[in-house]
Amino acid sequence: MTGGQEARTAARVAELNAAFGDPGDPVNPVGHDRLLEADEAGELSAAGEKLLDAFGLNAEFVPTALGGRLERVDSLARVLREVFRRDVALGLGYGVTSFMAAVNVWTGGDERQRTRLAEILLGGGRVSVAYHELAHGNDFLRNEFEARVQPDGSFLLHGAKQVVNNAGRADAWLLFSRTDPAPGPRSHSVLMVERAEVAPERLTVLPRYGTVGVRGCLLSGLDFDRAPVPGRALVGELGHGADLALRSFQLTRSALPGMALGAADTALRTVVSFARGRRLYQRTVDAIPQARATLGDAFLDLLISDCLCLAGTRSVHLLPDEASVYASAVKYLVPALLQGAMHDLSIVLGARFYLRQGEFGIFQKHLRDLPVLSLGHAGAAACQATIIPQLPRLARRSWFRGEAAPGALFDPRGDLPETPFGRLALTGDRDGLSASLVAAADTAPDGSPQEAAVRALARQLTGELRLIQQESLALPPQDRTALASPAAFALADRYAVLLAGAAVLGVWRRAGDRGDDPFLADPAWAAAALHRLVRRLGRRPADLPAGCVGRVQEELLRRHAERRSFDLYDTALAG
Amino acid sequence: MIDTSTGSTPQPAFDPAPRQPTAESLARWLVQHVAAYTRLSADAIDRTAPLTGYGLDSVAALSLCGDIEDEFDLAVEPTVAWDHPTVEALVAYLLDALGPRPETA
Amino acid sequence: MPYRLAEQLEWNLGDPDDPGTLFSHARSLALDEREEFPAALCAVLDQFGLYEFYIPTAHGGRLADYEQLVQLVRTVARRDLTVAIAHGKTYLGAVCVWVDGSAEQRRRLGAAIASRLPVCLALTESAHGSDLLAGDVVAEPAADEAAGHLVSGEKWLINNATRGSLLSVLCRTDPAGGPRGHSVLLVDKRDLPAGTYRHLDKVRTHGIRGADISGIAFDRAPVPAGAVVGEVGHGLETVLKSLQLTRTMCAALSLGAADHALALGLDFAAQRRLYGRSLIDLPQARRTLAESAADVLAGEALALVAARTVQTAPAELSVVAAVTKYLVPTRTEAVITALTGLLGARAFLKDVHAGGRFQKVDRDHRIVGLFDGNTLVNLNSLISQFSTLVRAHRRGTGDVAGAAAAFRLTAPLPPVALERLSLLARHGSGVPAALPGCLALLRDAAARNPAVEPALRAAERLPAVMDEVHAEMAGLLDARTEVPPAAFETARRFTLCFAAVACVGLWTHSHLDAEAGATGPLWRDALWLRAALARLLTALGLPDAADPEALDGVLDAARALHAERRLVSLLPLALRPATPVQDGPDRPGVRAHAHAAGGAS
Repeated sequence: MTGGQEARTAARVAELNAAFGDPGDPVNPVGHDRLLEADEAGELSAAGEKLLDAFGLNAEFVPTALGGRLERVDSLARVLREVFRRDVALGLGYGVTSFMAAVNVWTGGDERQRTRLAEILLGGGRVSVAYHELAHGNDFLRNEFEARVQPDGSFLLHGAKQVVNNAGRADAWLLFSRTDPAPGPRSHSVLMVERAEVAPERLTVLPRYGTVGVRGCLLSGLDFDRAPVPGRALVGELGHGADLALRSFQLTRSALPGMALGAADTALRTVVSFARGRRLYQRTVDAIPQARATLGDAFLDLLISDCLCLAGTRSVHLLPDEASVYASAVKYLVPALLQGAMHDLSIVLGARFYLRQGEFGIFQKHLRDLPVLSLGHAGAAACQATIIPQLPRLARRSWFRGEAAPGALFDPRGDLPETPFGRLALTGDRDGLSASLVAAADTAPDGSPQEAAVRALARQLTGELRLIQQESLALPPQDRTALASPAAFALADRYAVLLAGAAVLGVWRRAGDRGDDPFLADPAWAAAALHRLVRRLGRRPADLPAGCVGRVQEELLRRHAERRSFDLYDTALAG
Repeated sequence: MIDTSTGSTPQPAFDPAPRQPTAESLARWLVQHVAAYTRLSADAIDRTAPLTGYGLDSVAALSLCGDIEDEFDLAVEPTVAWDHPTVEALVAYLLDALGPRPETA
Repeated sequence: MPYRLAEQLEWNLGDPDDPGTLFSHARSLALDEREEFPAALCAVLDQFGLYEFYIPTAHGGRLADYEQLVQLVRTVARRDLTVAIAHGKTYLGAVCVWVDGSAEQRRRLGAAIASRLPVCLALTESAHGSDLLAGDVVAEPAADEAAGHLVSGEKWLINNATRGSLLSVLCRTDPAGGPRGHSVLLVDKRDLPAGTYRHLDKVRTHGIRGADISGIAFDRAPVPAGAVVGEVGHGLETVLKSLQLTRTMCAALSLGAADHALALGLDFAAQRRLYGRSLIDLPQARRTLAESAADVLAGEALALVAARTVQTAPAELSVVAAVTKYLVPTRTEAVITALTGLLGARAFLKDVHAGGRFQKVDRDHRIVGLFDGNTLVNLNSLISQFSTLVRAHRRGTGDVAGAAAAFRLTAPLPPVALERLSLLARHGSGVPAALPGCLALLRDAAARNPAVEPALRAAERLPAVMDEVHAEMAGLLDARTEVPPAAFETARRFTLCFAAVACVGLWTHSHLDAEAGATGPLWRDALWLRAALARLLTALGLPDAADPEALDGVLDAARALHAERRLVSLLPLALRPATPVQDGPDRPGVRAHAHAAGGAS
């Protein structure tokens, strides 16, 4: 089912948006005021959950072949963005947890497990995923929670899993479990356990955790006491839990940041509203050049983020062999960009950013909520650690010689083939995204001053890739482990910035080819975005030609006035 | 004069103030400075209007004292432009202050 | 030494990790959760007599040394920023009177504070934020002029607006407004007739949740003629001078938060095991901690110089205060963010690591950047001084002797002379002007001790950077109304240069004495200076400024201090007495059971 994907996705986005209604309406049960109240009370918005039940959000997580609506990872992020736009807690607590759990089954499960999980989700049930044990953090191969293999092939679950979303109310859990007491990468397996299969006296749901953000989420834990579960609970092969988890991360790491973009969008919208309404020093704040620049830069950060999210999610479909490193780059860089933008915006908002009430109170809620994205297995260091060992190989085999990614990678609305759950690779030795950057440095148009600026910045980034290549080739073996040096981590950071630049170039050029989005086809934003990325690398590029920054700020204000989204989709929003 | 020797961008060229300033020359000198700071044309500066009306905020107005000190070798309070908030008032103040030249600045 | 009293305060407050201590972390967390004003904890500070340090000695108090005040406030802030802010606001409320008040006002206010009445400063209004001259609160002359003024209007987001008994209120006294159109009035709520004022609700905030952030609405509230602080119409001048002092003090709040966050990070990294090792042995985690420690020390160096400048070169405080108020909170925020990455889930979960103290420090500290003029206000204040600074740089002017006295920690401070505060440092600042002299001293030190050479090489890059930054500033002199974003970037670079020179100055003037002390390992071979310069030069975008060896050394020294229960600081500050303080009538360690009443302040 490929034809009509865009229409289907757009319709769902519109439907969800309409259902959420005007965020500023004080009587809207899922408006900002009510959501702030739910957050204060530490509750997940009941009205929000009802709304998502009615929408059938869970169907977004189930592949079409199993009766759901999951066709494309980029579309999944785009639909969920509407939920995160309103409330990160709802996005995470209602939905994404179930998706993160389900991916393991879509990727590694057998027919029975897939059918059963689809049934649970389409019936409105929730599924939790439990990777985490607080004592071991990202080092999940040291996890102690056991699924002891019994002679008859069944398991005895024993031990605790902490910080599990919806642990107490899920119908099934995906449990990352030790199945072999010996250390090493074949010691863990993933089990899908239904609540109904566990004798109640063998399970204690641990007390709920207090958190700074996503206060409505029901984070608790599970403590099993030698609970028997049938052998059919095993997902994939025995001992292959670590690779299954890593392959699943490719989907979740690339999809989640794109969802969270919705929260940053609301934060930016809130600050633009403030800046247009507030008078300081005899003019509105948005007329103060520094404030205006900060707003424009935040918009660029969102656009850059969305470009990288787009390339990351679409690569799952188009370049599944390469998606691993992109997913980690997305998950590393996008939360950093978004949180950086939020920080800068908080300065424009001034004292209002510090208030948990009033017209702008939603800002601090998003500020508290957004960091949840970078926790646990998907934290910055974990993602960098996934990237680092791949760099020497890419440096040797791919950079400056591989083929450029197809233009379709950068097309926000272009159809995609099915999600190749079975073809996700753990590492790759190709990098079409970087190759598209190198190609752009040689072949991008450079007629106008703004185009020439884009080209020059692309060349600068290409030069940076050359440096990264040299340094990657020189990485000592120890740098490919958890003992990697700060320089290796810095290398992963620079590489992620570079991929973001490649994605910006790709989106700009593709928009030019398609000609259906005059803003994205305009070199102004691309130049400004690349300029920002080059500065992020610590370089001081030449000043941008006239008009680039103004064009971006103008577009931001237009979208704000017309209530359209600050991302690649320019979506009409409710309110 | 504002020092331009190390400037990386073109500076507004100011006429040096005459050594024997008159009300008119002082006013012209001040108007030039205010116009440059506010990026307005000299014609747009009303000599009887408060400087803050041109967007020169109170903190920015403090720095005018340095210009005056540099130009006339005359130490004035940083608040000189607060206490004499129009071009005309500043001219009157400066004429008075410059009348009997102080021995040292 | 000025920090000895802070050490006494720390010991007196008792072990914060012991839930039996009145001023314990557990209590601070519980109060924060309940959003309850920390009255009992403020009472502990009163009992110590902290309020006496808000009153200059001339007016009956014990404030004679601003470095000492910084250390005292830092001590409280380290334990609980909410309490430091809730209590320290009395100083903020009083400062206008110390700067410009009459003898009678000073005497009366001194007496009021001595009787433990809270005082607050009411500047901001709902619609105008940092734009002080847009204020709508008016003070009209009463019908009988001798009777004083009638105050009307609302002040909002005021710390202690409800609990404060006296308020310094910035009011419009000339209907036309303008820089001479406002006055500060010292309003004593106890003297106001009922119905002429009411409090506005406590505002729910992101951090410092227990603090009294509220507002007050006046309705023709009659205040006597003697209430005007300084001359009528001179309120803005009074406030801007006063803010120079409070902005300097804000650094103490940031330092306390940074101390707390760094200690939590060090503890976590030592306890946490990942991949079969301590987190502190993973190179990337080590680097994060080392950079954090170096940044905290650089911030401390700047704050020390700034606090001493209040007395050694008050006429230059307009520059020093703006640099410090911008840089120390901003860099502290960055340290907290970096440590958040290190702590991961433990920075997000409330009950897992150290009771969730880290997230409280993070939330609480974000207010510091907003106080007394936010980031942009302070950078803007520097931008408006560009012409003076450029001129001073060209001529090499500035109070070099004053700067040297600020750098030399063992030098006695001259008496406080607030009448010398100036809205504009007309000859620039002695700190940058002292650079050539400091470099000469550093060269001498390097000649005697080759281990100082890396610090010298880093410091010798400063003159060129200073020239470059001042050239950028010279190119922005016409930016006084439409300040372009580039000017903010240049101002930011100026503050980094300034901090770097302050570090060089502090080390060159104080190392001989400091090397013998308990923090000697940080001072010897200019270790902390190397690390601080590496961080600041890197932030300035200079290539090859990194100094991993110095960072490693600083981290080792920091860990050693932390393990000995000393503060990670340039100064030898023990967090626990060498022999435990005995509970008893003479030296009460403040224990919870001794204060069942607690008492409201």
